[in-house]
Amino acid sequence: MASTRLYTVIFVTLMAFSTAQALFEFTGILDRAYWFALGVIMVLSTIKATLVAGYFQHLVHEPRSITYLIAGALVGVLALTAGAAYSIL
Amino acid sequence: MTEHADHDHEHHLPPKSSVKRWLVTTNHKDIGVLYIITSLFFLVAGGILAMMIRAQLWTPGGTLLGGQGYNQAVTSHGLLMVFWFISPFAFGLANYLVPLQIGADDLAFPRLNAMSYWVYLFSGLLFLTSFFLGSSLAGGWTIYQPLNVPAFIPEVNQVGSLATIFALMLFVAAVTMGSVNFLTTFYRMRAEGLRVRDMPLFSVSILLTVWMMLFAFAALLAAVILLSFDHLLGSVWFSTAEGGSLLWAHLFWFFGHPEVYIVFFPALGVMAEVFQTFSGKRIVGRKWFVIAMALVAIQSFVVWMHHMFLTAINLPIKTIFMATTIGISLPFDLMVFALIYTLAKGKIRFKTPFLFSFGALLLFILGGITGVFLGAVVLDYQFRGTYWVVAHFHYVMFGGGTALIGGLYYWYPKMTGKMYDEFLGKVHFAMFFVGFNLLYFPMFVVWETPRRVFDYAAEFTMWHRLATVGAFLFAASFLVMIYNMFKSLHSGEEAPDNPWEYASAGEWAVPSPPPLENYPGVPSYAGGKLSFLTRSEAADGGTVVEQEVAGTEQTAPDGGAIAHAGAAATTPTTDYAEELALEDEHADHASIWPFAISASAFVTFLGLSGISKAYFIWPFVFATGFMVAYFGIEGGRREGFGWIHPVVMALGGAIAAGGAYLLAIDKGGLGAAIDGASVYFWLTTVGAFMGAATLTQLGFEEFNVPEPAIAEQWPFEAVSNVKLGMWMFLGSDVILFGAFIGSYIFMRVGHGWTDWHHDFIPEAHVVLPGLINTYLLLASSFAVVLALVAARQQNRRRLLGYLITTFLLGVGFLINKAVEWEHLFHLHEGAFADGWTFTTNIASSSFYITTGLHGAHVAVGLLITLYLIVRAYNGAYLGEEEADTIEHFGLYWHFVDIVWLFLFPLFYIL
Ligand code: HEM
Ligand SMILES: [Cu+2]
Repeated sequence: MASTRLYTVIFVTLMAFSTAQALFEFTGILDRAYWFALGVIMVLSTIKATLVAGYFQHLVHEPRSITYLIAGALVGVLALTAGAAYSIL
Repeated sequence: MTEHADHDHEHHLPPKSSVKRWLVTTNHKDIGVLYIITSLFFLVAGGILAMMIRAQLWTPGGTLLGGQGYNQAVTSHGLLMVFWFISPFAFGLANYLVPLQIGADDLAFPRLNAMSYWVYLFSGLLFLTSFFLGSSLAGGWTIYQPLNVPAFIPEVNQVGSLATIFALMLFVAAVTMGSVNFLTTFYRMRAEGLRVRDMPLFSVSILLTVWMMLFAFAALLAAVILLSFDHLLGSVWFSTAEGGSLLWAHLFWFFGHPEVYIVFFPALGVMAEVFQTFSGKRIVGRKWFVIAMALVAIQSFVVWMHHMFLTAINLPIKTIFMATTIGISLPFDLMVFALIYTLAKGKIRFKTPFLFSFGALLLFILGGITGVFLGAVVLDYQFRGTYWVVAHFHYVMFGGGTALIGGLYYWYPKMTGKMYDEFLGKVHFAMFFVGFNLLYFPMFVVWETPRRVFDYAAEFTMWHRLATVGAFLFAASFLVMIYNMFKSLHSGEEAPDNPWEYASAGEWAVPSPPPLENYPGVPSYAGGKLSFLTRSEAADGGTVVEQEVAGTEQTAPDGGAIAHAGAAATTPTTDYAEELALEDEHADHASIWPFAISASAFVTFLGLSGISKAYFIWPFVFATGFMVAYFGIEGGRREGFGWIHPVVMALGGAIAAGGAYLLAIDKGGLGAAIDGASVYFWLTTVGAFMGAATLTQLGFEEFNVPEPAIAEQWPFEAVSNVKLGMWMFLGSDVILFGAFIGSYIFMRVGHGWTDWHHDFIPEAHVVLPGLINTYLLLASSFAVVLALVAARQQNRRRLLGYLITTFLLGVGFLINKAVEWEHLFHLHEGAFADGWTFTTNIASSSFYITTGLHGAHVAVGLLITLYLIVRAYNGAYLGEEEADTIEHFGLYWHFVDIVWLFLFPLFYIL
């Protein structure tokens, strides 16, 4: 179990990242450099998700096999999405 | 037997002769039997439809059923056989045998197991009911789109078709619960010394099957949920011109191809075991056999587009999927050769189980070869939509079914304690095998017959008549089987523990039928063979552990090695003295709630099938209010009243009253609202109330399931059963939500990613509500984390405080969402003068449905939070272990949070 302080730091990071994502729209960066903004926003979401999974769901302290289980599901559904999207390009 | 019956009594389980026993039992063997009988019932139902189809095909353009009737028959036949017969039949065997084979005394979650069964049964009943609600779905078992959305099937009654879809949904729920249960059992409850790869091959095949089920069925669930909203709320997922039809095909076949292996793997497991027993040989290349099976399981997720060669997908992707399809047939070949070679090396005894398994192998080989034809793009252009496909998949699928029937004969003595009649078994096989080939082989010959159509070229008539004759012979063979099983149950010879020479898997080391608790002690394979450990008190007051080798024959972990050992040895050891409990920890085996909850689900979904869009949400609002109030009542009644209970009851009352108020406003007065409600509304309401009450009772029920003290748990040693189960469930939820998000991405790519926003989305759809909800949800997640810390520190006040904070933040999330939706629904903006609703366009459909389903997850989480609050008030969850419940809830809640972290940018920013 990590300390309450670590949880607090993570929580603050999560809030900050979310704000940053919204700022891309508020500042108009999204309109000017759409694909760049998309990339950054999705990376931020991925980091946030990893933090929640790793620490709030404390995957870092669980047997690695649980991470593999979830990673397996993720790979499966990404294959579906990527394969399907590619099939109509 | 009397001894067992008495034993059962101690566990509050009525005797097997009483109906009540079968309603309340949570024992894996009872449930296995229930599955088998129920699946055979659906086999008969699907079989009757098949006979009608064949009768109609006696002449080209037959008229027995009429067009719509024929379409329904073909569709329902396919759905019943694929979903309600074949896999449940295999899982009846698996339920009975897997715990026995791996040395567990039951599945990990017995009540969940009962729930899987009952939901399965009621899903099938809902399916059958759909015939009587106008018409069930009639567009083929693949439910291609847009041919099965309301606008395209005006002739199909909407109630019946929606009931069919809900039946599928319930079925998938049952499958998912079952998969989670089996996976947890496999990984946490193997007897000491039993490695995963050494399990008997039937168990190995089931393990791989449930892995595929966990992931594949989640994709089907996503597909049918989206389809149900197209029916219920008029969303436009599958009627959208750009891509709706392809979206369905992708989702369905991403599930569908693994499904064919889900159907076939258990059969493969049966074949491997039966071949070993009746040839007296261990399977050749066992290790490679297992590796090949595992490879196929993984590969099965990357071949799905070979079912889409005739759609608009591009040529490069077709080529890729042709290659992967060839790739998947390679490990399959290896398995087939291993099976053949095992037989070639052994000395075969032609008993009924063997005959069926061997027949299955022959049928499968023919089916597999014809499948390779279909896997070639160019050939498939010819074969698609013809009877070639029909013949192919019957050979493979019912080839698998053939082996499973062999499995039923093989294990019948174990399950009933009686031998079946060997002569009748052979008669059954002869009729079955001849009938089968007479029925399906002609379909290859006249393959140019169009599929799913009851007209064909006149010169094919003779072949089709042959098939019809074969069909009746085939059907009649089952009557022989059923007669045999009934007769033998009453007057069959008594079966010994192990009626089969050379059979050496774990189930043969215990009596036929096995006692409730399976083993006379703790099973262990540590010495390389099965033995049972019991602890007893020694004369000097200390303890000794006695080890008794099972039976007189050696029982091998993998059921493969065969040797005759001497008499039972008793070796005192002391290694486990601490862990072996002196007396059996009390385990519960009876609960009525799985049955009651499933019955409620049946009523609810029956009602939903006919409810109108305008009334759809209200039964759930009222039932939620009722459930909340009921938490207060039951919590206080069982654990002592305090201030929290009236507060919760008042909250429940307020939810219901608020709902009634809003409904009244919406419909212009409460009287008008009631007048406008159909019988389906009341059905849904009754079902939802029943569900609320029964789920609450399940939550409060004490149900003890001890985890095994000594077990092989690689690679999940360090987590509890419940936590592992939770993660397995979340794994399938990753696919479910991933598929929703993937569907959105697919449709957006199809339309043109960057045009989407401009073409479909009103100016009023802004970032801010999404950002606020992100804050709220993140904060609530943080509160749950703090609640867990407080629970571990045994601080009741802070635990309560954080849980209540979580609740309030979640409520804030839902209110914010409601305000946002209300605004968007009633827009009067340029292109969206009539508002932006479910039906407006694909962007609105995907926005509302995806975020709405997420919101539903939040709502469910909030109900659980309230339940936790009520319990925590009376001091529950305090302490290291007690806090586990909070932790498990947290896993769910954080998952819901994570989903939102992706929905927010995708639906609000980009
Ligand atoms: C060597 C192995 C196999 C190959 C290469 C193969 C290939 C194919 C292909 C390409 C199709 C699509 C045909 C079309 O619609 O035009 C198909 C259909 C089908 N296959 Fe197989 N298959 C194989 C094994 C199996 C097995 C083991 C099963 C089930 C146990 C199975 C069940 C089915 C079913 C049910 C369909 C029809 C789906 C529908 O209704 O459209 N196949 N197969
Ligand atoms: Cu396939």
